[in-house]
Amino acid sequence: MKNLIRLILSAIILLFSQAGTADENLLGYIKGAETLPTGSWEIYQVLTSRSNKGTGAYGALDSKTEFEYGVTDSFSASAALKMLKLETSGISVDGYLPKDNSLSMRPSGFEFGAKYNFLSPAKDDIGLSAYFSFESSWIDKHSGQDKDTYTTELLLIVQKYFLEGELVWATNFGLESTYAKRHPVQDLPANFEWSTEPEMELGLGLGTGLSYRIVPKWFLGAEALYETEFETSVGQERWSYFAGPSIHYASQDWWATLTWFGQIVGGGEQFDEQDSKELHLIEKTKEEVRFKVGFNF
Amino acid sequence: MSLNRHLYLIPLASISAISYATEYLSSEQAQKVLFPEADTFTAVPIQLTDEQKDQIKQLAGVRQRKSEVQIWRADKKGEVLGWMVLDEVVGKHEFITYSAALDPKGKVLGIEILNYRETHGGQVRDSKWRKQFVGKVLSDPFKLDKDVANISGATLSCRNVLDGVKRLLAMQKVVSFK
Repeated sequence: MKNLIRLILSAIILLFSQAGTADENLLGYIKGAETLPTGSWEIYQVLTSRSNKGTGAYGALDSKTEFEYGVTDSFSASAALKMLKLETSGISVDGYLPKDNSLSMRPSGFEFGAKYNFLSPAKDDIGLSAYFSFESSWIDKHSGQDKDTYTTELLLIVQKYFLEGELVWATNFGLESTYAKRHPVQDLPANFEWSTEPEMELGLGLGTGLSYRIVPKWFLGAEALYETEFETSVGQERWSYFAGPSIHYASQDWWATLTWFGQIVGGGEQFDEQDSKELHLIEKTKEEVRFKVGFNF
Repeated sequence: MSLNRHLYLIPLASISAISYATEYLSSEQAQKVLFPEADTFTAVPIQLTDEQKDQIKQLAGVRQRKSEVQIWRADKKGEVLGWMVLDEVVGKHEFITYSAALDPKGKVLGIEILNYRETHGGQVRDSKWRKQFVGKVLSDPFKLDKDVANISGATLSCRNVLDGVKRLLAMQKVVSFK
């Protein structure tokens, strides 16, 4: 753990030592509609901590290192490396979490994205963009077991400025389709179901957020996200509402955003040992904390 | 989970990083640049009433945030050349300080950017971009990419400077500058 923290802090310090500017994310989970200007680069580092499944011990840290390039003033393309660290013990969920696992931070997938801005939030009455991404991963982010996953996502982004830009509202509507195939797991508990047949999933997401500039450079925000997922064999596998506050700092050269996201209510598949029946805790946790930092070049 | 606790430390480290604040011109320098032929500058600040602020908003379409406004009259041999109004508009992260020179007939003679600390759009300081404001009057459309070209990556800043200049013209109409 100490080595990981040291690694993260070193990476942050390294990033700060370089010159750059920013096209920032005001919120942690809700995307804004703006794109990068032609020829400019952006680098993001996103860390998301997922913890607490209501029983046992569960903690995961997702890392996403992303480069984005402004191809035109309205179109940007991105590529990202994803990494995962996971510790789970004392939780067994039939079909999902087979056994204790401990993974040090390691590459888990990559993602390519493209964003097109149809209407500018600063120039038009309302901003509108579409974001498309393709992701390939080889580790299941929930259990840490080997699993080949291919995901495409289409996101519609609406953004509006109020009070000359001091108040920003953004809303996202996303549609996600996934093909996944698990690898076999050795030494499974008796009668444990672990399907290695290919599965298809369809996910929907609807999120909204507000961010207000309280003083120059500092923004306070609040955001909420509803997500649901449908899977071939079980129908609606899960749904959840997360919500929480964000704080954002931006200077001329870099920006950072910190968001706490708690699961308010959720449902779908559940397991006997979870301590709350009002939440979905198989593929989600009770809380997430996301930290983002970004630099433009 | 202990990782959560550590994550809170990262933004604290972020805050300590270097930031920049650049003043390109002082208000005295801006006066001389905007009215090079003037021999006298006289401070004639005004205090707007709520009613006047409402009238300005009605004419300009944007709110007048401050009641106190810094204005200097530029004279040449006793003849009024115009006024320089010092103003601020909202940038993406910070306020943008600029000044506009207005002639007695309600026409823009020029603008100068005194402070600009945004990520993109440093071109707002370029004379080519600023010259687009010369000759503007309150009845002009004041639309981005119509009256004045947008600067990519700084659309909000461009729009707010454009709206700001229109607001100053509205102010001049509501409050006769001395």
